[in-house]
Amino acid sequence: MVKIIIKNVECYYNSIKALDSITFEVDEGDFVGIVGPNGSGKTTLLRCLSGILKPKVGYVLIDGEDVSILSRREMAKRVGVVPQESYIGFNFKVLDVVLMGRHPHIRRFESKRDLEIAFRAMEAVKVQHLADRFITNVSGGERRRIIIARALAQEPEILLLDEPTVHLDINHQIEIMELLRKLCDKQGLTVIAVLHDFNLAARYCDSLVMMNRGRIVAIGPCEKVLTSQNIEETFGVKMIVNRHPVTGFLYLVPLLRGDGNENKPTKKLKVHLICGGGSGGYLMRELVGEGFRLTVGVLNVIDSDYETAKALGVSVVCEAPFSPITDENHQENLKMIMAADIVLVADMPFGYMNLKNLEAALEAQKAGKRIVIVADQPSRIRDYTGGKAKAILERLKEQGAIIAKNEKEAIKIVKSLEK
Amino acid sequence: MVLAWIISVRIGPLHTSYMDIFHVLLKKAFLWLNWDTPLKVGEAKEYVIWNFRFPRAFMSILVGAALAASGCVFQAVFKNPLADPYVIGVSSGAALGAAIAIILGLNIAFLGVSSIASTAFIGALVTILVVYRLASAEGRISVTSLLLAGVIVSIFLSAVLSILMVFSGWELHVLIFWLMGGFSHVRWPYITTATPIIISCLICILLLARNLNLLLLSEEEAQYLGVDIFKMVKIFLVLGSFITAVAVSCSGCIGFVGLVVPHIMRILLGPDHRILLPSSILAGASLLTFCDVVARIACPPIELPVGVITALIGAPFFLYLLHRKREVYTF
Repeated sequence: MVKIIIKNVECYYNSIKALDSITFEVDEGDFVGIVGPNGSGKTTLLRCLSGILKPKVGYVLIDGEDVSILSRREMAKRVGVVPQESYIGFNFKVLDVVLMGRHPHIRRFESKRDLEIAFRAMEAVKVQHLADRFITNVSGGERRRIIIARALAQEPEILLLDEPTVHLDINHQIEIMELLRKLCDKQGLTVIAVLHDFNLAARYCDSLVMMNRGRIVAIGPCEKVLTSQNIEETFGVKMIVNRHPVTGFLYLVPLLRGDGNENKPTKKLKVHLICGGGSGGYLMRELVGEGFRLTVGVLNVIDSDYETAKALGVSVVCEAPFSPITDENHQENLKMIMAADIVLVADMPFGYMNLKNLEAALEAQKAGKRIVIVADQPSRIRDYTGGKAKAILERLKEQGAIIAKNEKEAIKIVKSLEK
Repeated sequence: MVLAWIISVRIGPLHTSYMDIFHVLLKKAFLWLNWDTPLKVGEAKEYVIWNFRFPRAFMSILVGAALAASGCVFQAVFKNPLADPYVIGVSSGAALGAAIAIILGLNIAFLGVSSIASTAFIGALVTILVVYRLASAEGRISVTSLLLAGVIVSIFLSAVLSILMVFSGWELHVLIFWLMGGFSHVRWPYITTATPIIISCLICILLLARNLNLLLLSEEEAQYLGVDIFKMVKIFLVLGSFITAVAVSCSGCIGFVGLVVPHIMRILLGPDHRILLPSSILAGASLLTFCDVVARIACPPIELPVGVITALIGAPFFLYLLHRKREVYTF
């Protein structure tokens, strides 16, 4: 059932347009997250939904009633709001603060029932032990949960929250989100929350609204909204979006440091990396981050290093899953190697399927390329070819390959070769 | 505690003189009240008590209650611990009104109230209206601009008052004494005019007390919790400044009660206005009546201005409480 209808809403602060043609609907019992960069109008949208900011154009309907017509008291019975910041100067007791949530329901003094509701609200966010403390003597996170309890004490049908998990420990973040989810599922509460954490949003929300510069740029189920393209366009940050193998939910991680522009190659030296099985991740990130031009190969498609290289935009020679390197790909790889100045061999396991990569390194050495091998001790080399790989590595070493003790040192060596 | 105060205070003003006859007269006075019999001409003492002491005691209770209540309201509305009933310029408006009456020798007695009180009331009302006008935009009153407008208008009016004082002659003494505040001129007509206004405003404020708690939150939060903040602020400001205007025009500018009584009660009883407001009203009434007694008996035959006594007694008591309360007093 449709609970809230927002139709073609435009809001202004003085003459500055803060919301522009906002239109969407929220069903009863849904948990909707609002995401967007700072200043994109998320908080303004909440203020608009709560009726304290009147739209200049368009309207907001709750159960078919226009928000701008309802009195504050009527609104407070229906909509509870947890603002970003809350100001309570006087030293009220925590219980009194939560009881303020009963204000729209009572005339003068609280009844027993109001007390029960307040205590239930405090239990829901686990602050009942603070009931007799002064609000000025609780921590920021506790205060936040108390404010959520106050909103719950209003017994609203709709709960609006502005970054409810900010200032909270991870356990309380999850507790609050779980609680909101439960309230949606069990009591049919409709929740709209401004969220900063994409992962929490993806984990708990039914649908998301992504905003930028006062407009909705994407709306719908999480996987449709939280795409790396949407995020890059709106936030200007490259994110890796994946389904987590364990939880099955979307999880998002920012890519590299900086905004992505810093990763354009700035250095002349070209590096070819031989890696696999996750051994190249750190090296790739560092080299790209430092501005080296990088190629990688040959990698199997299912290799995590392949995923990393793809995400970083590094050119890769790839091979079908679980297949040995074909001659065609080997030649391709050699071509890349010949174009490079340095060949870097990661600390990786060697088997018959990737032995060809080492042979390619040998050829590169013959052609006069500098070889850097990451291997602190020869005994630690993971060789599953009955000694063939070890032998090649030994030969590389004898012919002047540089040995790096660890990955950090390897990066240092590459950097020094640049000079 | 508060009850004890009230009782002692009620006795106080009569007790000061005429020790022996006081009991009899008290009874008689109540008899008159109940039976509405016309005043018996006879004993001079009776006359004095009925026409001077009684209105005086009543007025000090009324004014004390009004000032404490409006101080309490203004501190909450402005969220400012320094707010008192005079922040928006009521006192200076009233003072200027009174000064005009005194210096020009106006005689516009109104409802049996002296022309000084009448013009003071008019001055106070005009000031309030001007300040509100200055501070409101698009039908909403900004609390900050109200505070600023009030202070600036006050300063301006004080300057005008100073000019008047420079050019005044013998009236200066009358004016200064009025400015310091007191109840010596109070007669029955004052009570009959002021009582209904002050009592009805106080009842309104008390009925709305719970909203004051929510006004202490940020404007936004108060609205989320169902308070129509702009309406509420307006109502409280109108009620608060109105009773202040009445109080000031009856008794002059008595300072300190409105500022400190709410603070004292807040330290003792906490910030919940449903308790704070009635207790402040009682305490304000008690304190002012008590101080008026002291003002009269301190160094006879001269009567000290009651405002001086409220400060002399109230300030040390407040500081003592502030010091005794180990926790930091947060407003």
